[in-house]
Amino acid sequence: MNAVDHDTCKVVTPGDVLGKASEISPGKGTYVATDAAGVKLVYAALTGSLSLNSPSSPSDKRLVAEVTGHKAHGAVPERDCIVLCRVKKVTPMMASADIMCVGEKALKEKFTGIIRQHDVRATEVDKVYMYASFRAGDIVKAEVVSFIPILLDFLHPLLAITICSFGSGEKMVPISWTEMQCPVTGQIEQRKVAKVEN
Amino acid sequence: MEFVSPEGLRLDGRRPLEMRQLRAEIGSISKADGSAVFEMGNTKVIAAVYGPREVENKSQQISDKALVRCEYTMANFSTGDRVRKPKGDRRSTEISMVIRQTMESCILLEKFPQSQIDIFVQVLQADGGTRSACINAATLALADAGIPMRDLVTSCSAGYLNSTPLLDLNYVEDSAGGPDVTVGLLPKMDKVTLLQPDVALPEIMQMDSKLPIDIFENVMQLAIEGCKAVAIYIREILLENTKQLEYRRGK
Repeated sequence: MNAVDHDTCKVVTPGDVLGKASEISPGKGTYVATDAAGVKLVYAALTGSLSLNSPSSPSDKRLVAEVTGHKAHGAVPERDCIVLCRVKKVTPMMASADIMCVGEKALKEKFTGIIRQHDVRATEVDKVYMYASFRAGDIVKAEVVSFIPILLDFLHPLLAITICSFGSGEKMVPISWTEMQCPVTGQIEQRKVAKVEN
Repeated sequence: MEFVSPEGLRLDGRRPLEMRQLRAEIGSISKADGSAVFEMGNTKVIAAVYGPREVENKSQQISDKALVRCEYTMANFSTGDRVRKPKGDRRSTEISMVIRQTMESCILLEKFPQSQIDIFVQVLQADGGTRSACINAATLALADAGIPMRDLVTSCSAGYLNSTPLLDLNYVEDSAGGPDVTVGLLPKMDKVTLLQPDVALPEIMQMDSKLPIDIFENVMQLAIEGCKAVAIYIREILLENTKQLEYRRGK
């Protein structure tokens, strides 16, 4: 197996040997295992085209082998990733939300996330009034904190309500850190508002 | 009863070391994340894979890896007599567990903690070797779904009748009462993940002798060779499918 193989049309299947772990670094769609002779090899984990890319970090001179399949498996929310969710239920202590997108990838089936009272903001965590921060049906951008169960937090100013609507069905416009206004009726509602990106 | 004629032909005209014709199709079920139809001779099996997705039963959730669920069913019309209980009976439950354990050994579960991968396999036409066909179909469906695996898992059965090792038994040969074994193999790793001998019926065990160990090794080796042949075919199918997708994308 050549170390510098720029033939990107090469299609591999799971279990194909891509090279030695000492020469190539494992990227997406690959994994490292020791074979019968005790040599560490990089194997393909997906069916797709193999590409050898430039080294990821300056300290690691090995080329990065990646296998890109045509059908990527559904995304799974992981720690520290930004997710887009729709709030389902709000109680005084917590709110539950359906995670619809992970990063930029939309999910086929939802995952459930929980927003706890003290994860809503960084200051005065006990005085958070959940009902003044979220309502059912709001679209929220959050960060995944932990996994059992999926907990979401909003400590970053860019996170929190991005879209919400009031009875009229119109998308509300943020007017301050804690308030959103409906452009049609002029009604102001309290929410935890995300920083508007220009 | 004669299963191998003096000329060396089996009941369906095959040679003892000859496998049945293989046929596979990927992506038959568009709603599923991955799907495949696999045929070994007259045995036809369809597999659908959903996942990774949220675990339905939170109590079964595993914190550091994915949960694999497998369900094996036989369609009512799959055998000559109408199948009375397609799922939930002992044989189906046992085969579901066997397929689950085999696939668990090859999927890289650590990449999806706290999620679930569902594998559904249904036998559309049963003519012996349904277990093997199901494992092969599940492998193709998982590869179609883009779920990372260590290697493809392939499976084949082999038996011993009329003092001859036979590869890929059909229903008549399977129910003849001779010993047979189903082997699941990771072909590139050369590792056996499933080794399931079929216990002969008690009445026949009295007449038929127990299988000497060297003959058993022979039969097992034959099944392993069969698995490798299936693996070559499955890889061809996957490569062909990838090329088709690339043409359609206009590359």
